Amino acid sequence: MKISQDTALGTLFVAIGVAALLMALQYPMGTANRMGPGYFPLIVSALLSLIGAAIILRGRLGDAKLIEAIRWKPLAMVSAALVAFGLLIEGLGLPLAVFVLILGAALASDRFGWSGKATLGAAVFAGVCGLVFVRFLGLPIPMAGAWLKALGGF
Amino acid sequence: MGTFDGILLGLSTATTFTNFAYCFIGVFLGTAVGVLPGLGPVATISMLLPFTFGLPADTALIMLAGIFYGSQYGGSTTAILMNLPGEASSVVTTLDGHQMARQGKAGRALAAAAIGSFFAGTVGTLFIAVSAPILAGLALTFGPAEYFSLIVLGLITSMVLTSGSLLTAFGMALLGVVLGMVGTDVNSGVARYTFGMPHLMDGLDFVVIATGIFGLGDVLANLDNERVRAASVAPVSTLFPTREDWKRMIGPIVRGTGVGVVLGVLPGAGVLLSSFSAYALEKKLSRHPEAFGKGAIEGVAGPEAANNAAAQTCFIPMLTLGLPGTATMALMIGGLIVQGVQPGPEILSQQPALFWGLIVSMWIGNLLLLFLNLPLVGLWAKLISVPYHFLFPLICVFTAIGAYSINNSVFDIFLMTMFGVLGYFFRKVGAEPAPLILALILGPMAEEYLRRTLLLSHGDASVFLTSPLSLGTLVIAALLVVSILSPRLRAVRDEGLQEAD
Repeated sequence: MKISQDTALGTLFVAIGVAALLMALQYPMGTANRMGPGYFPLIVSALLSLIGAAIILRGRLGDAKLIEAIRWKPLAMVSAALVAFGLLIEGLGLPLAVFVLILGAALASDRFGWSGKATLGAAVFAGVCGLVFVRFLGLPIPMAGAWLKALGGF
Repeated sequence: MGTFDGILLGLSTATTFTNFAYCFIGVFLGTAVGVLPGLGPVATISMLLPFTFGLPADTALIMLAGIFYGSQYGGSTTAILMNLPGEASSVVTTLDGHQMARQGKAGRALAAAAIGSFFAGTVGTLFIAVSAPILAGLALTFGPAEYFSLIVLGLITSMVLTSGSLLTAFGMALLGVVLGMVGTDVNSGVARYTFGMPHLMDGLDFVVIATGIFGLGDVLANLDNERVRAASVAPVSTLFPTREDWKRMIGPIVRGTGVGVVLGVLPGAGVLLSSFSAYALEKKLSRHPEAFGKGAIEGVAGPEAANNAAAQTCFIPMLTLGLPGTATMALMIGGLIVQGVQPGPEILSQQPALFWGLIVSMWIGNLLLLFLNLPLVGLWAKLISVPYHFLFPLICVFTAIGAYSINNSVFDIFLMTMFGVLGYFFRKVGAEPAPLILALILGPMAEEYLRRTLLLSHGDASVFLTSPLSLGTLVIAALLVVSILSPRLRAVRDEGLQEAD
């Protein structure tokens, strides 16, 4: 699928601009000397939609650059690893969540191969992160999360 | 309080053992992350912010300043040794710096950059100490109309000095303003663009967005061309400049500092402008302009001094007006707000120890850089050559912990991931994210000042033109837009910015 850079960006601008415009219409407008919460959003989103349309038009008229091929694997793997980190951090605690994130993100790279050394490195780094951020810097993140504590309670 | 008393107060704040130690750690970490290829100052600072969260405000600020200078200097090291500029303003450094490195003079180029930066940093700090109190006094007389016009100027400068088309940059800035409106409207209490989500009531956290777009976005973009990623690091031999080098360096350093100090105060992208201007100036003044681009030490010393002087003085509008001039400064404001410090004209009278402590620690930061970077240059060179597939999972970890620890919110991790993907998309379509980031923080201020102005003038918009300062600011903004539309100046801009891509 070949899409030009201008078409993609312009479409994004128009989509966000129009959506923001429609939502802004539902907020009270007010007048110029007593602006309501809808006044400024209306102006800005209308401008954004216009600029988006102009960018699409420019892409149609000139010789626009095409978007280079997107590699979906790293994009999906890294995002998934980060979401997993978010879901695990309060349940399992910082070190385990970091461990999962490192290994998950590393899968995105073509050069990554499972090895004992890499896993050990990730584990050490996860432990160091826990020590530095939680013990030393005092960030309020659990070392062992709520789930582990629940297990320990039985 | 006089400037001298202020500096004394600053010295007593900054030189406590704890604060000094954190300044050192900040400079060290800033350089260590800043030298990593592909990580500019914005990504570096956003990743290192969580290190400052648990600290008291003054210590956090001082460490933040250390991180800031470290990341700037780390970028220059990568530019010289690898020909990879971390941000647009170190592009100029690659021109002659990397040529010197290829001729086996990498150490001398690094020394020129470090000495130039140190001199410029010292002058820049003095300049802030003298002029910031004056400007802060002046700023107390500014009304909302003046602030609004200054914000418009800042946004327009950042659009004009961004690589790529002006239309794209304008769209990115508008998108930033729209994103800035998410959350509860302060005047009416109406929740805007929150989609009924309680997490969005307080608005999108600026640092989370910046970490996503710059930190994670860079990772995703780098993974895209993982296969073609191969770069060599130039070896570093002797560090000491020769007597001949000294002679050739002094003039450019002094002139570059002058250029940087003045241009850095401008809102927008004064840092970028100053390094380009200093390079052009040295080339014009040189008796051997043909040597530029082939490893002239003047071409490293001048722009590096200008770059650092401007990086220093761009703190002035940020501290005294609360208006960030660059994306990096916007991030610094984000870091200050986390600490409960609201930059603006009142900071000087209400928190003098903080203000002067920061200024003195800037100078200490520069001093530490000189003594840290040159001896440790071998370590930095090793860090640069760590393969990317070992580095990027660790970068992901820092971005994730950073996003979470701002509000202890899992939602922010998801938000950061989403904006990382968006940042990747922007790179794919050739849109520079700097105007968006700046607009995200300036947009809500612009709305607030616009509302106040029109409330005071009973809806009469002509106040923007009747206040001399506001009028002058808007005229400069208009001239900038006109200048970029004229074909001749456009060619100059494109030539200057093309290498930044």
